[in-house]
Amino acid sequence: MIEVLKPGLETSVQDYPGRIGFWNQGFPPSGPMDSWSFRLANVLVGNQPGAAGLEAQYIGPTLKFQRDTVIALTGADMGAKLDDAPVPLWRSITVKAGQVLAMGAARVGTRCYLAIAGGIATDPWLGSRSTFHQAGVGGMEGSALKLGHVVPVAAGAGTPGREVKESARPPIRTDKRWDVEVCAGPNDDWIDAAGQARFLSADWKLSAKSNRTGFRLDGPEWTFTENATNKPPEHGSLPSNIIDHGYPLGAINLAGQTPIILVNDGPSMGGFINPYTVPSAAFWKLGQSKPGEIYNFRQISVAEAQAMARHLKAMCTEASII
Amino acid sequence: MIYDEPRYMPGGDRYMLIEFGNEMNLELNFMAQGLAGAIAAQRLKGVVETAPCFASLLVHYEPEDISFEDLKSEMSRLIAALGPSDDIELPSRLFYFPTAYCDPWTRAAIEDYTAKINPQKEYDPAFVARLNGLSGPEQLVRVHSGSEYWVASLGFWPGLPFMMALDPRCVITAPKYNPPRTWTPQGTVGMGGASTAIYPVATPGGYQIFARIPVPIWDPKRRFSVFEDSICLFRPGDRVKFVPVSVQEFEEAERQVADGSYQYNVVGYQKFSVAQYKSWVASLDRGKRF
Repeated sequence: MIEVLKPGLETSVQDYPGRIGFWNQGFPPSGPMDSWSFRLANVLVGNQPGAAGLEAQYIGPTLKFQRDTVIALTGADMGAKLDDAPVPLWRSITVKAGQVLAMGAARVGTRCYLAIAGGIATDPWLGSRSTFHQAGVGGMEGSALKLGHVVPVAAGAGTPGREVKESARPPIRTDKRWDVEVCAGPNDDWIDAAGQARFLSADWKLSAKSNRTGFRLDGPEWTFTENATNKPPEHGSLPSNIIDHGYPLGAINLAGQTPIILVNDGPSMGGFINPYTVPSAAFWKLGQSKPGEIYNFRQISVAEAQAMARHLKAMCTEASII
Repeated sequence: MIYDEPRYMPGGDRYMLIEFGNEMNLELNFMAQGLAGAIAAQRLKGVVETAPCFASLLVHYEPEDISFEDLKSEMSRLIAALGPSDDIELPSRLFYFPTAYCDPWTRAAIEDYTAKINPQKEYDPAFVARLNGLSGPEQLVRVHSGSEYWVASLGFWPGLPFMMALDPRCVITAPKYNPPRTWTPQGTVGMGGASTAIYPVATPGGYQIFARIPVPIWDPKRRFSVFEDSICLFRPGDRVKFVPVSVQEFEEAERQVADGSYQYNVVGYQKFSVAQYKSWVASLDRGKRF
């Protein structure tokens, strides 16, 4: 059991791949935004890669452990200390009952992951422990951690001193610029050639009006093909309106002129086009970036995106541990 | 139009969007739901889940088990096997809901919006009636409650149904609020475009609102067995009938919901036959209203 002394800024229980199978009822998967770091934290402490752990964002929590265990921190550097001793990232460590793990503001990256040997053992909701804040479902009573919460942990036996190879860690950028892969589609044919070229060459700034449902981007105007202007009236009045359709996770959803990347807690459907989609293997970059930082999008094929996901999955295993 | 061949579009590494046409037409939704049913019945390897919408079906697949091209061939084969949409039969439950039309709760939400955001906003039932050439809110109630509604899709909020009137004599349309409302009471019934929705919980919203049901369609505490393995009541392909009741009857049902004694009125023995539906629609005088 872990006692919450300070909750941090929206620290939540997540598992991977999250709440899958309920998209046709409007349920998003939720789960960790940077599943690369998340899975490796679990591997470090001997859990299945998808076991439930904590996602801390921007400012981490302060937690008191009620029994001896093994933990690992991955992802963003939040200057974590265990009873005042600095805690290394990407390494499993022993924690004694009564010790306090204090995390601060993210210095490099945005989201830090904590895995505990055995995994967090809250009651699953629709097959997943992931927190979906907006609907108050999953995690600790449907919300982010609160002061006084006691987080249940299953029994587990981890080994301290295990470390993730340098080459297997996500290269979190420190220069505020991110190259983010995209696949064209489903609705790229609504954007004209100039608009497509502009999308792929522009700087897109991540807006502060972003959360786990969507990442809003500020950038240049979009221009459209005839599909957007010459269409039956039931599509809606804006060029980017289309008859409501299902949204892929990662879709770059064009709400009027504002692109919003639909992320882990995003909507399942709606009435805007999705000219591009961020593939699953690039999500970790979204998870580790901050508002104000710049995305440059690089188009890859669906086959390349699938190869990236396979490669990432292979890296989130024992093969990456030394 | 309905496309001669569906369009198969990629959405990143794990999604395929299959578009059957580009108009608001129930037939396209029947095709999307028919294909979703066929995929489920075949337990097609590599398909994780599907989500139908008005004119399309989103397929979430596992690329380690099936490639985009192979999935496209499989989908094309299943669509061919489904045959013309007339042959589609869909399992379809029918829910009867006590419904307070022109109720005091949605009126309060509208009045709050008028007071704080847009003083020009006409009272929603009067506005929707006028736009659709109806004599007033009383006829709106008659027309809106005169049809069964088809759950075409769920989204925006978990369990929020987007529904289409099955009886063409009851089809009405309404523009959305601009700007949207900041709150809508739980259980509110409203319309945007040609679709009717029920708000599962109190949320902001943009639909014209004119009725409320006391019955939960979102059950996070799992108090009612009719929700089966979910906490959302509806599945695509369900039908809904709104039964006008008084505020007094609404409040009685609300009390039964609160103490757990409420009995959902659900009909579970029917299948929806597209062919029979179409032949019935063909027999109607679409120009007539109730």
